[in-house]
Amino acid sequence: MTDAPVVRLELPARPEGVGVVRQALTGVADGLALAAAVLADAKMAVTEACTNAVVHAYADGSGRFDVEMFADEVQLTVVVRDHGIGIPEDEEERSEAALGLGLPLIAALSDDFELRADTGDGTEVRMGFLYEREADPADENPITGGPGPTGRWES
Amino acid sequence: MDARTIVLDDSHGDVRVVVVRGEHDIYTAPMLRERLDEALASGPVGVVVDLSAATFLDSSILGALLEARRQALERGTGYVVCLGEEPEPGVARILEITGLVPVFPVVRSRDEAMIAARSAPAGSVGEADRGDERSEAR
Repeated sequence: MTDAPVVRLELPARPEGVGVVRQALTGVADGLALAAAVLADAKMAVTEACTNAVVHAYADGSGRFDVEMFADEVQLTVVVRDHGIGIPEDEEERSEAALGLGLPLIAALSDDFELRADTGDGTEVRMGFLYEREADPADENPITGGPGPTGRWES
Repeated sequence: MDARTIVLDDSHGDVRVVVVRGEHDIYTAPMLRERLDEALASGPVGVVVDLSAATFLDSSILGALLEARRQALERGTGYVVCLGEEPEPGVARILEITGLVPVFPVVRSRDEAMIAARSAPAGSVGEADRGDERSEAR
């Protein structure tokens, strides 16, 4: 990976910022040999990572999150980072609006994926997307389960 | 970015159609919930969600669609999602990998959806069948 990001964004952790990140990702992909299906997956995975920052990171909704995109010879790497409270373990602390599918989708749609969640020091999601894939990551990390009676996804 | 609209079409008699166009995510999920609530509140025989002009959906949108499906199921209202004949990858992919195609259920054409919404209450296509039908949205 090159040292300097191709793009670096810092945004308020609000719903309207998520589409801005997708637009930036589309712009970066225009200059890369990213297959159309990979770009579609990248847009979805990055959207889910940004949505986690918007929904879970800040109890009062006043924080920010940042996104960096790096390109090397084989893949695009996108890092989404917030400085909030992390994704709560306790189901009752989660937003009622959250389906609980964000991390399983990121795992299924990215060619590699790393989550760092330090208590009190925010969450970092790092996702890699190969320009040309030999296999579908959704086959390796399939989404299991289905919608439960509470409205949340149950594995 | 594509124009994002969510419109309730009540010109089809006893079936309400919620037409979703463009990219939709956590920003527009509350609007979708409102339109679906309006559609269900009018007491129709069925509700069709038309995604044929949608270009992107995330899990926030799936959550709204699943909540409306749950309400439709409780009321005995038909509930069908249609994708169109050439769905966008950003729409078909999330429905496919989550196995939700048979759950909603998802069909291709609006006509097929209208017939299904009038003839079957939500959830009448068995979730037990989902493993066999996961590839329908490809």
